[in-house]
Amino acid sequence: MTDFPLREPWEPTPLAPPRWNGALRAIAGYVLPPAAALAIGLTFWEVWTRARDISILLVPPPSRVIDRFLDRPGFFLGEGMTTLYEALLGLALGATVAIAAAVLMAHSRLAERALFPLAILVKVTPVVAVAPLLVIWFGFGLWPKVCVAALISFFPFLVNAITGFRSVNPGAMEFVRSLRASPLQVFLKLRVPSALPYLFAALKVSLPLSLIGAVVAEWFSGDKGLGLVIFTANYRLDTPTLFAAIAVLAVTGVALNTATSLVERRVLFWHEAFREQD
Amino acid sequence: MTASEHILVEGLSKTFPHRGQPLEALRGLDLRVGWGEFVSVIGPSGCGKSTLLRIVGGLLEPTAGRVRIGGRAPRDAQKAKDIGLVFQDPSLLPWRTVLGNVRLPLEVNHTDSHRPRFQPRELLELVGLSAFADYHPHQLSGGMQQRVAIARALVFEPSLLLMDEPFGALDEITRSTMRYELLRIWQSTRSDRPKTVLFVTHSIAEAIALSDRVAVLTPRPGHVRAVIDIDLPRPRDESLERSTEFLDYAQQLRNLLKEAPQ
Repeated sequence: MTDFPLREPWEPTPLAPPRWNGALRAIAGYVLPPAAALAIGLTFWEVWTRARDISILLVPPPSRVIDRFLDRPGFFLGEGMTTLYEALLGLALGATVAIAAAVLMAHSRLAERALFPLAILVKVTPVVAVAPLLVIWFGFGLWPKVCVAALISFFPFLVNAITGFRSVNPGAMEFVRSLRASPLQVFLKLRVPSALPYLFAALKVSLPLSLIGAVVAEWFSGDKGLGLVIFTANYRLDTPTLFAAIAVLAVTGVALNTATSLVERRVLFWHEAFREQD
Repeated sequence: MTASEHILVEGLSKTFPHRGQPLEALRGLDLRVGWGEFVSVIGPSGCGKSTLLRIVGGLLEPTAGRVRIGGRAPRDAQKAKDIGLVFQDPSLLPWRTVLGNVRLPLEVNHTDSHRPRFQPRELLELVGLSAFADYHPHQLSGGMQQRVAIARALVFEPSLLLMDEPFGALDEITRSTMRYELLRIWQSTRSDRPKTVLFVTHSIAEAIALSDRVAVLTPRPGHVRAVIDIDLPRPRDESLERSTEFLDYAQQLRNLLKEAPQ
């Protein structure tokens, strides 16, 4: 049964990706350069603020910011967890509603024509303008923050999910239809996997947006969270605390983004953008 | 299953609505294909070959005319899983393994009543890909992907295989290898119940090498200009393509195609 060529001699043999070696190379290639650039930038900043004797109220040197953080790391991390929790809960809520709406709109042009303008209305309304209203409705607890984060993450998910659910290979669609697959089967076996690259793109846009949403909401109705820390530090002209809070937010954003990219790479190994290169 | 022909096409016409100017793809096409026969349909580009195949496969409704597959309407034959489809684009699902792609039809129609005689792994062995069951489509060459598509089409053991330029996207060398691969697969599945194949192509060599008969279509609106019997012994291999009979058939088909005013 195998007396014919399985694979033409000029075709490359697919190799298993070199795991451990690859991880080391990834660290050397992708982690070291930005880390070095950051270190150089921080050094210049430190030297500059000290040499020019810049007021700590305007720009504190990085060492002072790090000191401030190390004074009360539990405080900063605790407030950071609060903000992160609000942001992720809002993101999950916004994404769920958006994906449900996208399923409807991807199947019915009428639903899309009816609902999409409303979605644009939500998108163009500045979330900062809506935040006070949400405080009136939901008080000072968790929910106004979750709502703002949800509102701000909603639109990227909606647009990407609609496109994603529709971007099915026509040949594969014809084949699955020829099998007389039910609409649910077409959805689960074809539309959802086809939409995954788009949903990851939405996630990468919406993750930082949801953090912004949570922080902004905390300014208006903060009982805790990094937004409140920034707000009060600003009020007291406590610039090192302000910078420390900003740094925690920045690191959180980078961590979320990196985690998303790693998961994306694993899930979308089959996609053109992530295939192993020779 | 008492019909004397496997495929019966009578007076088939198909017109596509096309921005006020309707596009007539097929007009009055007649074709009969016997049980277990390998018939190729050849014709100039845009002559409606693929339209014919899609109507026979129950994917399109004809504007006029009658199509019977073993006495049944195409959609009923499709419902009975008696038609296997292979397109030019293998259309595999990139996130599924090779084996997962071959299993897909079974997952979509998980009826206990239908017990396939060939398990997906056996089908992969048949098309020569058993070592690649856990690979993903993007790790395979075009020819290998098309083998997967053939295995996938055979899962329900259809008595009819419809192939729409399955090797059209392959390079010339792989293409001629695949030709005899397909014959080998066809022969090895035909021992107990011969499969009928309707094969759309625009390669003259492919049509002669594979077929019992070749139907030549006219330009659009397409209908059958001539049906040529290919009396070449089976099993066939690549040396056949250098024989004088083969070259005579090629000349004959070329002339028939040339008559077509472009």
